[in-house]
Amino acid sequence: MDKLPWLGASVKRKEDDRLLRGSGRFLDDVEETLTLHVAIGRCPYPHARIRSIDVTRALGHSGVEAVLTGQQVVARTEAITALRPFAGSAPTAFYGMAQEVARYEGEPVVAVAAVDRYVAEDALELIDIDYEPLPHVVTVEDALRPGAPQLHATVPSNVVVESTVRAGEPDRRLADATVTVEGTFRINRVSGAPIETRGVIARWAEDSSTLELWASTQTPHLLRAQLAHCLRMDETDVRVIAPDVGGAFGLKIGVYPEDIIAALLAIDTRRPVKWIEDRTEFFRGAAHAREAVHTLTLAADRDGTLRALRDRYLIDLGAYHGPLGPPLLTNVMLAGPYRLHDADIHRRVVLTNKVPMGAYRGYGQAESNYVREVLVDRLARRLGQDPADFRRRNLLRPDELPFKNVSGVTYDSGDYARGLDLALSRVGYETFRARQKESGQQGRHVGVGMSCYVEFTGYPSSAFLGRGGARFGAYESVTVRMDRAGRAAISTGVSTFGQGTETTFAQIAASLLGLDPADVAIHRGDSKGTPYSVGGFASRTMIAGAGAIEKAAGQIRDKMLRIGGTILGVDPAALETTTGVVRRRDDPSVQVSIQRVSEAAFLGYPLPPGEDPGLEATAYFDPPSSAFGYGTVVVQVEVNARSGEFALQRYILVHDCGTQVNPMIVEGQVQGAVAQGIAAALFEELVYDRDTGQLVNGTMVDYFMPTAADLPVFELDHLETPSPVTPFGIKGVGEGGTIAAAAAITNAVCDALAPFGVELDRLPVTAESIWRALAAARAKG
Amino acid sequence: MTVALLVNGRPYERSVESRRLLVDFLRHELQLHGTHVGCEQGVCGACTVLLDGEPVKSCLMLAPQAHGHSITTVEGLAGRGELHPVQQAFRDAHALQCGYCTPGFLLGAVALADRGVALEGAALREELAGNLCRCTGYQNIVEAVERYLRQAAAGRRDG
Amino acid sequence: MKPAPLEYLTALTVEEALAALARFDGNVRLLAGGQSLVPLLSMRLLRPMAVVDINRIPGLDRIVAADGVVRVGALARYSALEASPVIRERVPLLAKAIPFVGDRQIRNRGTLGGALCHADPAGEMALCAVTLGARLRIVGHSGLRELDAEAFFQGPYTTALEPNEMLETVEFPDGAGTEAVVVEHARRHGDFAVVSVAATGLRAPDGSWRWMRIGLGAVADRARYARRASEGLAGTRLQPADVTAAAARCLEEAGPTSDVRASAEYRRHLVPILVERALEDLARRR
Repeated sequence: MDKLPWLGASVKRKEDDRLLRGSGRFLDDVEETLTLHVAIGRCPYPHARIRSIDVTRALGHSGVEAVLTGQQVVARTEAITALRPFAGSAPTAFYGMAQEVARYEGEPVVAVAAVDRYVAEDALELIDIDYEPLPHVVTVEDALRPGAPQLHATVPSNVVVESTVRAGEPDRRLADATVTVEGTFRINRVSGAPIETRGVIARWAEDSSTLELWASTQTPHLLRAQLAHCLRMDETDVRVIAPDVGGAFGLKIGVYPEDIIAALLAIDTRRPVKWIEDRTEFFRGAAHAREAVHTLTLAADRDGTLRALRDRYLIDLGAYHGPLGPPLLTNVMLAGPYRLHDADIHRRVVLTNKVPMGAYRGYGQAESNYVREVLVDRLARRLGQDPADFRRRNLLRPDELPFKNVSGVTYDSGDYARGLDLALSRVGYETFRARQKESGQQGRHVGVGMSCYVEFTGYPSSAFLGRGGARFGAYESVTVRMDRAGRAAISTGVSTFGQGTETTFAQIAASLLGLDPADVAIHRGDSKGTPYSVGGFASRTMIAGAGAIEKAAGQIRDKMLRIGGTILGVDPAALETTTGVVRRRDDPSVQVSIQRVSEAAFLGYPLPPGEDPGLEATAYFDPPSSAFGYGTVVVQVEVNARSGEFALQRYILVHDCGTQVNPMIVEGQVQGAVAQGIAAALFEELVYDRDTGQLVNGTMVDYFMPTAADLPVFELDHLETPSPVTPFGIKGVGEGGTIAAAAAITNAVCDALAPFGVELDRLPVTAESIWRALAAARAKG
Repeated sequence: MTVALLVNGRPYERSVESRRLLVDFLRHELQLHGTHVGCEQGVCGACTVLLDGEPVKSCLMLAPQAHGHSITTVEGLAGRGELHPVQQAFRDAHALQCGYCTPGFLLGAVALADRGVALEGAALREELAGNLCRCTGYQNIVEAVERYLRQAAAGRRDG
Repeated sequence: MKPAPLEYLTALTVEEALAALARFDGNVRLLAGGQSLVPLLSMRLLRPMAVVDINRIPGLDRIVAADGVVRVGALARYSALEASPVIRERVPLLAKAIPFVGDRQIRNRGTLGGALCHADPAGEMALCAVTLGARLRIVGHSGLRELDAEAFFQGPYTTALEPNEMLETVEFPDGAGTEAVVVEHARRHGDFAVVSVAATGLRAPDGSWRWMRIGLGAVADRARYARRASEGLAGTRLQPADVTAAAARCLEEAGPTSDVRASAEYRRHLVPILVERALEDLARRR
């Protein structure tokens, strides 16, 4: 392959101009005449029977055009499907609106479409709803207790699915091991909380009998497929367009109840119907994430060789299984970068009366990293070993890769110990223990904590997904088209939500076609006019998208060489493309501009005999493998042992994400992910009151998203080991920064407070939780 | 009721419902979509505009309150021409990803420059704490604003 | 979240504001900074028939030092207080407290009077008012009355203001030469205090403290002046034993509750720690 001039270049982003000027077009910026605005009445109870709804006064209110109730929605639609149904899962019927029973605070119960949102909210207050509160459960323990209310008739004991992954002989290893440590860990329920909430505009196009939906979504094509299914329509009659999306992070995937509601109202009123989620709704409707309880056991020999892992964990799914449901990578990545052959991982996914869970950056990897790396530190401490030495002993070496882990996935390449060593040297680990002792003598408690991770990026083929029952593939697709001026346009179903795809896709295409990225336009996010796309999530877009662009651009380049050959009277095999021209490899003065070649394609002359006019190609790329990034986070903290207050003094991440298409964008992604990792580790938690079942802090005021003043400076080091199994050696990069924050910080705090024997076992880590852990350690004596 | 005000230097006079939030008025009556809604509680700062040159959260004002005042939105920075230096600084530092929070940060930075304050580091982060970003982790935003404020201070010194 | 229908009135004088209050007989809110009021309107937690915009009343935001006091108009905005040399020199406790309030945008609009009338138990302005022993000047149709800050705050979000009254001025003792410190623990920057401590005092030439006043925020149903702790420090040099004793007395004054930010037990644990931190800070001043 020829050198790729734009690969690895920190090209400034094409997206920026419009976004900086305020000309970005986000969902609420799309305005059409005659639009009706929707306000949704939501169940205020965690669990309630809806005895009656009287909408008469609302319908009579000036400015109200239509009202929709659950009875209509259930009668006219299908339940929301899972995009990754897990074999053996008990179904939960998740409709666009509750009809008889609402199962979480926030579940839609009625919707009003009116001339504006103010009037729609006025009308909601005129609707009389008679609720009969039912017994609720808002913890997994309560949901599993004998006699607990069963939330769905189809789900006995509130367990949606139970599954086990076993490898080797874990029982024997655990029994034989010299040392075992066990810990029970509670992981907080959080929200991705993008600054732009959800939103949708539905419009029924009378002339074509089609439904057009603008949605703030990461997955236009998947939303289209799911929505068509729910509405009992042909997919061909549904179009989904994603405008600029103001952040997504996994929670804007697939169909939501509000999409169904807006669509029905649009069909009924024959007017555009717009719903913009307000922030109060957001915390009670947009997918929640991560909450789980793990009881993990690690076993090792006296010399510190890890032998086996056992995990029993519960995932708090919420009231329904939505499009994505529980994270799946907890299981897959639990063993991490270590040499482990024996494992027993048992999972139960449990229903509670809370907002349904969905995907959030990491998809289970932050959870698995937290429980494992904190327990690794406890194990090292029990053995009297330095946590870095313990890890080095057990980290897989490069020559051991590819390595199939206990969950059945194969790590392709990586030098995990190198990442650890680099991060530790950054913090000055060799001299740290001496400094720690000195500080201790001054009554100050400083600590260093580390966490190593391997990161699953991309999906290893559609076959892998399909065998698992997924309703989407692993591929991406593009159509690349040249115009007669010799410029390219890429059509992709992937939407823009901050990840820089418009720029990076242009860089790859430009490299392959001999163009400048400025001459590659990107049309994105519209299901009409783009080939089937899966969407932007799972750190897969660059891998799969690059492959698709490579194929399509390859076809176009070959045709450009053929046409160039005809124009120049030269055998195409002797030609090459380079910036702006097609030319003879051995005599560059013999050349023709790409513009001239493109023009010939559109005139249909001069072309080689038998060649069709036009210069475009559509290609799908199905990655045959996942690529595994990896890294280490090292954190230095100082803790006040009296108050529990603490400060992050250093935050270091060394990571390997493979070939970087645009290093500037990679770094931005990592920084953003790190911030979210720290946010979930130290600040955020969605709190439900056990007695009332109510979400206590569902507002921006009480859900503590960190500000610039709350976060440290991140020290990032990028290693670049091209993956052997992906196009250009690219690995996914969007999620890694979230993975190791909680464990590294927890380990650092415990290291600082080691003289007190403190153990932390829940998130978020706060001054109060540290104070309580200190008290508990003292009580234990 | 009627509200008359200047927005980005242009006079507007509109009839408006008393309870209309200023951010909704700017976005939907004046079709200036660059100011965004993120929370309607005054926390996220995506709705930040300059009121008589000072950053305020436009979701925390009723439209009638703006009567007689001068508002600057992000659209007033570059106009149709070149990017404003603060916008250029953000672009150069890759200080935006999805772009939804960006207008609020830009206007806050411009107000700082106008006050002649060349803050950096922790002190600057405190000044920016009224704007939440979920994509960038703030690091590049801080860098962009530091660079912009230094440039602005130098520009003032050089007359 | 959009406000319920309401009428919007503008008052150009205090009399007009009072007339509007009377007209709507309690079903009305004064709109000053709006930083607390408007979100409550948007969430429909408050549904007044009208709001009266008082931002255009001239002279209601003045900061004047005279006769041994500093009189601050109720409409003075945080940003003006921050920038005021009079406040910095003569009411240093306010200057120390303001960085803890909200953020830049909120400080550009929020007012001292608005904060005091909102009476959030965790509010820094109420904390300063009780700590300093401020006097609040209230106007109503029956004329003027004055109240000590401690009497003004009656409970969470509850003040002694009658429905047809308006806060006009806050009078602080002139604190030129005093030292002041505010210490706070919060879940994130600019957030509501979990526990806050304000301390201010006057040091004599011989290094002893003529008087000391300590206030506690967010640990009771309103900001508390820790009277016993404060009086116990008069004449001392803030030695460790004095500080410890004051901290213990402050804890006795604290009656915190649990909420999403912190438990009551943790708040109680923090009170003496933050009091000690504040007093040690003052003790170190030259």
